Order: sequence, then C-alpha cells, then structure tokens
Amino acid sequence: MEKENWIENILNSTNGIMQVTPSENMFSKIQQKINKQNKLSDKTVWLVAASIAVLVLLNFTVLLTKTKESKTSTTIYFENTLNQSNQLYQ
Amino acid sequence: MIDKQSRFEKLYHEFKILVYNVALNYLQNTEDAEEVTQDVFVKIYNSLDMFNQKSSYKTWIYRITINQCLDFLKQKNSQKRFFIFGKKSQNEQEYLNTTTFEHPGILLEQQEDAKILFEIINTLTENQKTAFLLSKLDGLSNPEIAEMMQLSISSVESLIFRAKNSLKEKLADKFSIYRKKLK
Repeated sequence: MEKENWIENILNSTNGIMQVTPSENMFSKIQQKINKQNKLSDKTVWLVAASIAVLVLLNFTVLLTKTKESKTSTTIYFENTLNQSNQLYQ
Repeated sequence: MIDKQSRFEKLYHEFKILVYNVALNYLQNTEDAEEVTQDVFVKIYNSLDMFNQKSSYKTWIYRITINQCLDFLKQKNSQKRFFIFGKKSQNEQEYLNTTTFEHPGILLEQQEDAKILFEIINTLTENQKTAFLLSKLDGLSNPEIAEMMQLSISSVESLIFRAKNSLKEKLADKFSIYRKKLK
C-alpha cells in the first residue's frame, strides 16, 4: 500500500505544472542567429562567383597562350620549309 | 521580406512558451532548452515560405521542436560516448545527467518527487517518452498527439499505456532504494 501511494505521488508530482516563459532576450538571440546565417550565405555566393571568375580567367589565359604558341610554331615551320630561292616547283 | 519577418515575429510571440516548455520537459536542462528553442525558431524562419499548411502551425511547430530535441540528445549522447571507452549502455538516456534537474514550473514541495519522475521518464523509448510527455505535461489529447507524431490514435494510446506501465515497474524497483534511504 505504501509502495503504491509512493508511486502515485511520484507520477502525480507534475500535476499543476506551470508553463515557464523564456528569457526576454531570446528573440534577439534568434534574430542574431538568422542574420549570421544570412551573412554567411552571401559570403558563400561571392566566394563561388569569385572562384568561377578566376577559373574562367585562367582558362582564357591558357587558351590565349596556347594560340600564340601555335601561331609561332606554324610560322617557324613555314620559314624552315620554304625554298630559299622562293621556287615552289623544282 | 517584411511580410515574412512580421509573420515570423507573430509566430514567435504565439509559440515561444510552447516551444520552450516542450524543450524544457524533454531535455530537462534550462540552457539546453534555450539553445534548442533558438534553433527551432531559426528553422521555422527558414522553412516559413515552404510551409504548405497541410497541418496547423501548432502541429508543425510541435514536430519541429520534438525532432530538434531528439537530434540534440543524439548529438549529446554521441559526444559523451566518445569519452567512455567500450561501454555501451542499454539505454541511451543513462548518459543524461537528470537527477539534479529542478523544473522551474513545479512547486517546491513536489520538486524531489518530480526529479525522480523525470529521471525515470528518460529510460523510456523515444516514442513512449514523447507520447507520455505530450499527454502528461502538455495536456494534449490522444488525437492531437497522433497528428503530431503521425501515428494512429490507437498507437498513441498503446504508447502511453506502455509508458505508464514501464514507469510504474521502474518506480517499484526504486521504492526499495527509497525505503533504505529513509532507515
């Protein structure tokens, strides 16, 4: 009997529990977290955009360099193979 | 943007007490409850545009809160287990330090008994604990709990029944320890 009463008391110990109000600065903390995550996402966008720009520039530079090299080597080839007397038919 | 902000603020003022108290009952720690409350509302803000209104705001927010509490506990437990070599507890909740939790909403004369109850509640399975807390502490009806947990009403009834039986069994075991302390 004592055991049952004790168990009942424990189970009923939360009867009449009152709701607790969170601290007054809770909302400002939430707002700070939201603002922080928004700032971070803007940063990420700029970072990605900058990375793409750098990649494009690098590719463009490499392409340009390769084109120049190709033109130069073609010129050298023609210079070497051109008949000294400028005779096309021998 | 302004509209979203004002909707969000309205939701905050309407549900801040609900969210905080659910977190407090679930986590049994004031600092953790505050942290989770903040995370819940950040999640609400981020998901507000996608809310499809299939359920009420209350149900939706309850779900986010419970899920956030569960994720928080899992994270906390995995951090603690890292420091305990080779020990695998039968019940995850053993790791929680709950015996000293004094719920600020409970009368002083009931605090000691409530501490014991909260300690035992943490030994329940996730679903049993959720259903029991929502029923006992939040005063939700079984249909409300069923909608919140996306279960049938009979499943909820079964969970609460098993939770109560489990609590009574464990309290019966605890009684002998309690008697010895009195002597």
